[in-house]
Amino acid sequence: MTSTVTIQERQSKVTRWLLIPGIVWMSLFLVVPIAMIVYVSFWTQTTFNISSDPTLASWKQFFSSDTYTGSLWTTIRIWLIVLATTFIVGYPTALFVGLFVKSKTLSTVLLVVCVIPFWTSFLIRVLAWRPMLGKEGAINIVLLKIGIIQQPIEVLLFTELSVIIGMTQIYCVFMVGPIAFMLSRIDRNIIEAARDLGAGFGRIFWKIIFPLSLPGVVVGAIFVSVMVLGEFATSGALSGRKVNLLGNIIVTQVGSLKWAMASVVGVVLTIVMGIVIAGFLRIVDLKREL
Amino acid sequence: MESRIIKPALGLYVALFVLFLYGPFVVLTIISFQQGPDGGPQFPIVEWSTYWYRQVFGLTPPSRIAPLPFGEALIRSLVLALMTMVVSTVLGVMSAQAFRRSFKGSAFVFYLIVLGMMVPGVLTGLGTSLLANNIIGIERHWYTTAFATHVAYTFPFAFLVMLAILNRFDASVEEAAWSLGVDPWTTFRKVTFPLIFPGVLSAMLFAFTLSLDEFPRTLFASGRDQTLPLAIYGTFSVEIHPNIFAFGVLTTLFSFALLSVYGILMGLSVRRAKKMAMQEDIA
Repeated sequence: MTSTVTIQERQSKVTRWLLIPGIVWMSLFLVVPIAMIVYVSFWTQTTFNISSDPTLASWKQFFSSDTYTGSLWTTIRIWLIVLATTFIVGYPTALFVGLFVKSKTLSTVLLVVCVIPFWTSFLIRVLAWRPMLGKEGAINIVLLKIGIIQQPIEVLLFTELSVIIGMTQIYCVFMVGPIAFMLSRIDRNIIEAARDLGAGFGRIFWKIIFPLSLPGVVVGAIFVSVMVLGEFATSGALSGRKVNLLGNIIVTQVGSLKWAMASVVGVVLTIVMGIVIAGFLRIVDLKREL
Repeated sequence: MESRIIKPALGLYVALFVLFLYGPFVVLTIISFQQGPDGGPQFPIVEWSTYWYRQVFGLTPPSRIAPLPFGEALIRSLVLALMTMVVSTVLGVMSAQAFRRSFKGSAFVFYLIVLGMMVPGVLTGLGTSLLANNIIGIERHWYTTAFATHVAYTFPFAFLVMLAILNRFDASVEEAAWSLGVDPWTTFRKVTFPLIFPGVLSAMLFAFTLSLDEFPRTLFASGRDQTLPLAIYGTFSVEIHPNIFAFGVLTTLFSFALLSVYGILMGLSVRRAKKMAMQEDIA
């Protein structure tokens, strides 16, 4: 009896020592930095310096300036649009890979094919959209040659549209993966049973397939949201600085050593992120589903 | 019956989807063979040439267009990725190992770790720089502050991979070793580690590639000396030349080489595991 107790004690001691390095690392280099952003957002900023005297000045400045509040709305708008486009573009692919492809090998091959573009550096992938979308870009050339358009489309590059196209291509795979995973786990007998009972494909889709894929949609949406909300490179490179997300504002503020304002924007971004993720987790109880 | 229409339609859609995914890469590959040094990063291709590839390696005569400043940045990024890979894999294996036993506050620790992949990089980068600048008062470097943020990002991935592997792990082999009087550390080295090795490889691959391409965390936290993604970001503000696309093709090939090494190691370790299992059967 006493020996089992000591074994348990020893094991919980081992557990503790196994955990401490990870906990310390994440506390020091993740939690403390975030807390630091909150703290610095109340610091006093002068043109050349920053001091720890508490003030609400930067916060007041954020909410009284159209540039800053405007970037908040732009961020939310772009996030919602990209969320929708990645879902619309990604779902049919996930449906094919996860449900319609019977062979396990083929579906793995298709998923690998989707992941391969990620082996090119993220920033070069962003840059590659420039010769695609430009006035003399690949898309315009192809459309002109086929004869669909007579004049090159100019709104493709250095607009909000180019940011949306670029982000959709870069992030849609994060939508496809989780949805395909959930779809592949659906018991085919349920679908067969529904078909035997005379349900058409539309009915089967809305009553069975879609609800069962919802946890995958939520996981994908969380992935996409986290990445799009924190973005600044794609919007910077493809919009010609016309689309300013919260991330872009942080970068410019840090660039001109306005650390307090950068922190305010950082806190706003954190709050938006928190609300978005909490919202998604309310729709679907992931712990129960996975 | 409907599936006779729906399945081919979806198949066609997936083909278009793949075209959409690969379009930019195809275009950047084509443009990387643009004539140099006067050919620009757009269509049409004036004349096919390997000029920009030679330019990346410094093999062309000097011209108006400066070579990409990637040499030292590349080395820094590789060293940083190696450091990140080792530390986050060790942390990942340790934490996942701890999670095999239930303990108080496990949900809290789980979320603390997973938070690292959820928080946008621009925020961790900003916070770490503020901390280094204003509280600790140290200079920022790619091998200190940026390294810390990289591990805080890749450690969760390593942890989740190891957690998935250890969930499927048959603990009876360890118990057998313990009951034969082998101490826990030797058991881990001789029994547990070889069995979880494929997972460790995946965790390493994840951490290495994520760190190599990590950009928002590095932007603020790395200080004076640039890593590779920062050097690429630097080209955003100047005129773009096809040398950046040639470089993109080369790094992609490098990634494939890395993936092949991973594949070979994975294949070898699976084969070894099979061999060991067969020997056990014979014995």
